[in-house]
Amino acid sequence: MTELVGQAGLAGLEAPSGLPAPSPLTVALLRPLRADHCLVSSVEIERLSAELGALVAHRPGGPFRLTDYLVRTTLWPSASPGPSSPFAWSAGTARRGIGLAAVRTLVAGTTQSPVDGVGLAVSRAICDERGGRGPMSSMGRWLAGLTAAGRAAVQADAVSWATRLWNSLDWKAFDTPPVIGRDHWWDSPHSSLLAIRSRAEVRGSSTDGRGNPVSVHLVVLGGPRRAAVRSELSLVALAEALRPGDPRPPGRIVGWWPDSGHFVSLEVDQVTLSLGVATVARTVALLGASDRGSGAAA
Amino acid sequence: MVPVTLQPRRAPQREVLVEVDPGPAGPGSTRTGNAGTAQRDVLARLRDRSTARPRFDPGLAGGLRAWLEDGAGVLVARRGDDAPPLHLGPRLLLGHADQNSSSRQGPSRQREDYPSQVVTSYLVHALFRQLVTTGSVGDPLTDALDALGLHPNRAGLVRHVGLLDRRARSELRAELTNQIGHLRELTPHFAPGWLPRTDDRVAIPLAGGRVVLCGVFDLLVGAPAPGQASLCALQLTSGGPWAFARTALHYLALLETLRHANPPFRLGLLDSAVGRYVIEDVQQEHLRAMASHLVTRLALLAGADD
Repeated sequence: MTELVGQAGLAGLEAPSGLPAPSPLTVALLRPLRADHCLVSSVEIERLSAELGALVAHRPGGPFRLTDYLVRTTLWPSASPGPSSPFAWSAGTARRGIGLAAVRTLVAGTTQSPVDGVGLAVSRAICDERGGRGPMSSMGRWLAGLTAAGRAAVQADAVSWATRLWNSLDWKAFDTPPVIGRDHWWDSPHSSLLAIRSRAEVRGSSTDGRGNPVSVHLVVLGGPRRAAVRSELSLVALAEALRPGDPRPPGRIVGWWPDSGHFVSLEVDQVTLSLGVATVARTVALLGASDRGSGAAA
Repeated sequence: MVPVTLQPRRAPQREVLVEVDPGPAGPGSTRTGNAGTAQRDVLARLRDRSTARPRFDPGLAGGLRAWLEDGAGVLVARRGDDAPPLHLGPRLLLGHADQNSSSRQGPSRQREDYPSQVVTSYLVHALFRQLVTTGSVGDPLTDALDALGLHPNRAGLVRHVGLLDRRARSELRAELTNQIGHLRELTPHFAPGWLPRTDDRVAIPLAGGRVVLCGVFDLLVGAPAPGQASLCALQLTSGGPWAFARTALHYLALLETLRHANPPFRLGLLDSAVGRYVIEDVQQEHLRAMASHLVTRLALLAGADD
């Protein structure tokens, strides 16, 4: 596993003559992998898949639908103190979804600014709700019920979120249009008890040392910088490596903290995927133990 | 009322500071006549010479960070490696106990004690965000509560306001009406292309994350550009000490320098309580002075100055 820790603005990168330097985060995400980087073989991927299936077999506490959030709060509960409460829409929970929709329209050229993009995303969600178009969206329903001031507060949060992401990357540096904010799930073919989510805000392409395409993934992180972040990102790497459907193997996962400008970059190799499997094993074990404990208490 | 423009001693080539204070708000004074004027003036001063973006020493951010890391290291050594991370906002670092705008910048309030100035500050900031986002505000109290009600960690404050008696509520509404009036006069409409965004949080970890310097920009405009200072920061104070609010703004400029290697090139401070404002350029001396101040405060916290 190769790990690069950097900070936006401090990398001192050279730009091609006459062009402004790309942002360090763009370079960290899109630069080619090292020449000696070894992609993980398909045989090894199949072995990992079987190993994961065996991990959850006969394990109490399942089914296990693992997300980076669940991993963080299970393995490092002090990272998220406070009582857990049922999900409810709020300015905080809505900003990512609206912000991603806004950045999607910006990248597509449909809108020209985060303010416009967020306005469009909100009005689309409300129109879909009121017009009965598309699947029922709980966020659209919630937005439609807000006062103008409440909606403005939601938009303000989403604009700030979207602007940070929009400003962080040089979008023209992507060879092909990036995918914005589509979460992927890997469902174990060996066990119906295990699924792993790969959450990433931006997905693009780069190349390995031989010039073959690989996928690269930017994950927006919150909270403090923490040693556990490598485990959280390895989960994304694992799900991407195991997931069928993308002919490009995953090459790199970059986690970025907008609050501080720091980022951490993991290249996806055998060590990273082994860390992912170990993370799944520890999480499943703890979840199973807590389930057994609560069952005993009941 | 004709605004009084104070122009302290100028630097040889660059305008350092322009402060505009319309004077105390008397009962007969009216701001409506100056509304467009003040807005235009704020905008003009933010834009003035903005095409000539200043360049800062590329090594400045690294040097300031190293200086602060030394100070944080002393503090961490004193507290021990197992101590929980220490989150420091401008109020704590500057040794200021006043509950003004910067009091919003720390972790969410644990106790439900809401002095009137704190309540006003939260509500005015919610209205400021609405004004920047939509350009309009309806009934100030209703709108502010609607906005804050969407943030679960503000539920206590909203509940507190809901329990106020009729007289206290009327006073609060009158105060908000006064302050939003000033904000309407002062706050320019920023075109979407300026990328205006509110409540932009900055958190700079030091000593491996054991000390975190935190702050929140009320409003940022512009996009970070490698090698250039390209942002304007506009901060709001709703009645706290003016001098502290300006110092806190320099603190935020330092945090932005550590985050993106360049500070904002210009800072603005709006006082919604009386309708005054100041626009100033950021200079390296400001950043060095603030870093020095912070290192001193870190040493004081560590008790290392004995």
